[in-house]
Amino acid sequence: MSAAAAAADTYSPAAEAGSKRRERREELRRHLAEDADWPRADGRSLHDCRPAFMQTGPTTAASGSAYAEFGKTKVIVSVFGPRESKKAMLYSDTGRLNCSVSYTTFATGIRGQGLENKEYSGMLHKALEGAVMLHTFPKTTVDVFALVLESGGSDLPIIISCASLALADAGIMMYDLVTSVSVSCLGKNVIIDPTSDEEAWQDGGLMVSYMPARKEITQLTLTGEWTDGKITNAVELCMDACSKLCEILRERLKDPASLASE
Amino acid sequence: MSAETDETAAGGLAGEMEVEAYRRLFPLAFLERHLRESVRPDARRLAEARPTTVALGAVSSAHGSALVRLGDTAMLASIKLEVMSPPAETPDQGSVAVEFHMPPICSPLVRPGRPAEAAPVISKALEDVLMSSGMLNLKELCLISGKASWVAYLDVYCLNADGSLFDAALISVVAAFTHLEIPLVSVGDDGRVFTVGGNEGKTKYELVNREKRKLTLGDIPFPLTCALHKDSILADPTAEEESIIETSVTVVLDSSGRLVSIQKPGGGVTSMATIKACIGLAKERGQKLKEILTDSVEAMEVDQAE
Amino acid sequence: LISGDLNLDSTLPSKLPPPPVFRSSAAPPPQGSPASRRARDDTMVGLSEGEKHFIRGGIAQDLRADGRRRLQFRALTVETGIIPQANGSARVRMGATEVIASVKAELGKPTILHPDKGKVSIYVDCSPTAAPMFEGRGSEELSAELSVGLQRCLLGGKSGAGAAIDLSSLIVVEGKACWDLYIDGLVVSSDGNLLDALAAAIKVALSDTGIPKVNVSLNNETDGEPEVDISDEEFLQFDTSGVPVIITLTKVGKHYIVDATSEEESQMSSAVSVSVNSHGQICGLTKRGGAGLDPSVIFDMISVAKNVSQRFYTLLESAFAAAEAVADE
Repeated sequence: MSAAAAAADTYSPAAEAGSKRRERREELRRHLAEDADWPRADGRSLHDCRPAFMQTGPTTAASGSAYAEFGKTKVIVSVFGPRESKKAMLYSDTGRLNCSVSYTTFATGIRGQGLENKEYSGMLHKALEGAVMLHTFPKTTVDVFALVLESGGSDLPIIISCASLALADAGIMMYDLVTSVSVSCLGKNVIIDPTSDEEAWQDGGLMVSYMPARKEITQLTLTGEWTDGKITNAVELCMDACSKLCEILRERLKDPASLASE
Repeated sequence: MSAETDETAAGGLAGEMEVEAYRRLFPLAFLERHLRESVRPDARRLAEARPTTVALGAVSSAHGSALVRLGDTAMLASIKLEVMSPPAETPDQGSVAVEFHMPPICSPLVRPGRPAEAAPVISKALEDVLMSSGMLNLKELCLISGKASWVAYLDVYCLNADGSLFDAALISVVAAFTHLEIPLVSVGDDGRVFTVGGNEGKTKYELVNREKRKLTLGDIPFPLTCALHKDSILADPTAEEESIIETSVTVVLDSSGRLVSIQKPGGGVTSMATIKACIGLAKERGQKLKEILTDSVEAMEVDQAE
Repeated sequence: LISGDLNLDSTLPSKLPPPPVFRSSAAPPPQGSPASRRARDDTMVGLSEGEKHFIRGGIAQDLRADGRRRLQFRALTVETGIIPQANGSARVRMGATEVIASVKAELGKPTILHPDKGKVSIYVDCSPTAAPMFEGRGSEELSAELSVGLQRCLLGGKSGAGAAIDLSSLIVVEGKACWDLYIDGLVVSSDGNLLDALAAAIKVALSDTGIPKVNVSLNNETDGEPEVDISDEEFLQFDTSGVPVIITLTKVGKHYIVDATSEEESQMSSAVSVSVNSHGQICGLTKRGGAGLDPSVIFDMISVAKNVSQRFYTLLESAFAAAEAVADE
C-alpha cells in the first residue's frame, strides 16, 4: 500500500442517517437515473471506471500476493501453495482451488464481525476455477485468501481481478488472467464500477468475470429486472472494461520493478 | 539432531551446496555462521532494527488508522469509536477494546477457521501495555458523565507476518491513536447521543465535544524485541530468525525512558547483563521510533494541506 | 379452467399418464448412485466410461438416457398445503427430484433505511437423506449456493426493482409494522435441477399463501405504537404473478439441456440459471460450473431459456391447477 495513496483519503464520520443527507442522496440518485450526462459523486462519467492501482507482492510470506485499490475499495489477496491438501480430502488427480474471502471489522461503515464471507468465497472460486490449470498440481491445494481492508463498492469484482494477479504472481499455471467488472443499473442508465453508495441505490446489478485473451466468460451474475438488449449492452461494456483492466494487470506482471519507486 | 552434528554435517557440505538449499536444510548453522561474522542473513548488524515506515490514515472507514511496516512485517491498526453508556463503576470513563487479528493472508501457517495461536497472546500483551503505559487518559473518552462515553474498538490486522509482530502491532496502535479524530456528537431531543457529519450539521446542532477532537496522549510506549542466541543479541528478529533462536526478550519503554513492560517467554536462561543490554537497545530504538512517528504526522499534515 | 392441458404440450411424451399426486410407484433412482453436481468430482458419481459416453452421445443426438429430448422437462407434480403450520407450502416433484417450500409470515418492524418495505428471507436446506453426499456437513456448501442463487433470482435489485414479491405490499404501518416472510426450501430427494425445482416450489407455495388480515388501531396511550390485531379467519391472497421461474440450461458437450438429472449434471461443463418472469424479462442470472463460455453462447442460452420458460409456466400452471382440484375434492 503506497503511503501517498493511503494518506490521500480524508476522514469521514461513520454513521449518519440524518434526513438531510438522505434527501441529498435521493436527489443524486434521481439525477443518476434520469440524466445521461450527470457526473457521479466522485466526478466520473457513467462509463468511467475508478483509477486502478494494483501491485504484486505485498505479502512476502505467501507464494504470491497482490494489492488492489480502486477508489476506497482496498483488497489484499495472498496465494499459498500448491501445498498439501487437508487430511480429510480424498485423493484427486487434479489440484484443488480453495478460496476464502473475509472483511476486516472496520471495512464497512458499521463495525462488522470480521468473519468469512461464504457467498463471496464461493463466487471467487467459480470465477477462477475455469482459468486455473488444475491438472498441473495434482493431489495438492492452492489456497487463495482475500482480505477486504476497506469496502468501497464493486468489492467482489475487485477481489476476483486481484486474486488472478496474485495467482499469476505465485506462478500458478492459468489459461488466462481473469478480470472482473460490475455495472449497476439505475433507472435507464447503466453505470460501471459502482461505489458502495451507487450499489445501495441500484435497481439491478450485473457482474462479468472474463478471460480477455480466450474471449470467455467464467462467471456472470445478474440481479434485478433486465431486458435482453440491456443485458447484451451491459455485458459488452463489462467485457471491454475487463480487457482494459487486464492490460493493467499484464503491465504489473511484466514490470514489477516499477513498484520499487512507489 | 544436536547442534554439533548438524553443524559438522553442514560445515562439510557448505562448500558444495547452493546458498538457498543450505539455508533451508541447515538453518541453525546458516544463522550461526553469519553471527560469527557479526552480520545477519539480511545483511543487518546485530543490534540494527529493520527500516520502519508509518502511514497514517490508511483506511478512511475508521476514525483513526495507521499502516506500519517493519521490514516485511506489515500491520494495519484501526480505531472505530462508538457511543455507549459507561458502566456504573466508572461513570466518567470510556473504554478500549483491543483485538489482534491474524487473517489467513498473512502467513502460510494460518488457515481459515483455525485462528493463529499467537493472536490472543499478542492481543492480551497489547492491551496490558496500552492500559499500563498511561498513554491514554480514559476520562478523555467520556462525553457526558454517567450518560455517554466512547468505546474505542481497536483492531490490529497483521497483513504480512515476518517476525517481531508485537513490536509492529504496538507501533501501529500508537500511530492509530495519534491519527484518531473524534467525531462530533450532539444530543437529540430524546436524550440519545448521535454523531454529526457534514458542515451544515456543525451549525445546526449543539455540539457536545467541539473542543475535544484529539486525544492528549501521555507517555507513549515504544517496543523492541531482541532475539537471544548464545551470546548474540539480535534486535528486531525476522520470522526466520525467530524460528531458530533460543529465546527472546521484549522490552517496552515509554517516551520518558521508563520501563513499561519486559517479557521473556521461557526458553533458554539469560543473564541480567543481557537484559540490561536489551533495555539499552530499546532506549535507542525508542528515540528512533519517536522521530519516525513525528515525521509521519508531518507527512500527513503536508498531504492534507495540498 | 386448465389453460395448458398436458397432452397439448407437444414436448411431453404422450405415453405419460397425467401425473397423479402421489406417485410412490415412480421409481426413484437407486440410492446407491450418489449424485455429484460438479464436473470435477465426476469420479464420485460412479459412472463408467461407457455410461458417460452414452449420456453425452444421447444428448448430442437429442435423445437423452430417459427418453427425453434436450429441451424437455421431466414429469412435474405439485402438491399444496402440505405443512399446516405454515402460511403456505408446496411440494414439487420433477422426476426423482423432490423439494418442499414453506412460507411463514410474521409481524416485524421495517428497517430504518426502508421504512416502507417488508422483509423477505430465503434459505434452503438439504436433507441428509436426499443424497449420500449430504450427510454430515456435506450439504452446507450446496445449501448456501442454492440459497444465494434463489435470493439473487427472487429478491431483485437493492432498490427492490425486479423483485418477485413487491416488498411495499408487505407493509402494515409505515415505519412501525410490516410482514416478514420467511421462505424455507428443503431438498428431500436430489436428482438434479434443484434450483429450478426449488424456485417452482416457492412460486407455488407463495400462491398457496394466505396472509392474515390485520386491523390497525393507532393508540395514543402506547406512545404512538400502533396496535395490530391479527384476524385468524380472514386471509389475503398473495399476488404471485411477478414471481419468476428459474430455467437452468446445462451445457454438455456443444448442446444445452433443461431439467438435467444428476447423472447428466456430472457431465456438464457449465450451466447457466436464468430467472424469467411472466413478461419474459430476465430478473436474475447465475452461471455455475467453472469452464468459461463464449459471450455469444451465453446470449444464446439466455434467449433459449426465455423461450423454454413460457412452456415451463404452462406446465407449472396445469400442475398447480391439478393440485388445487385434488385439494378441493
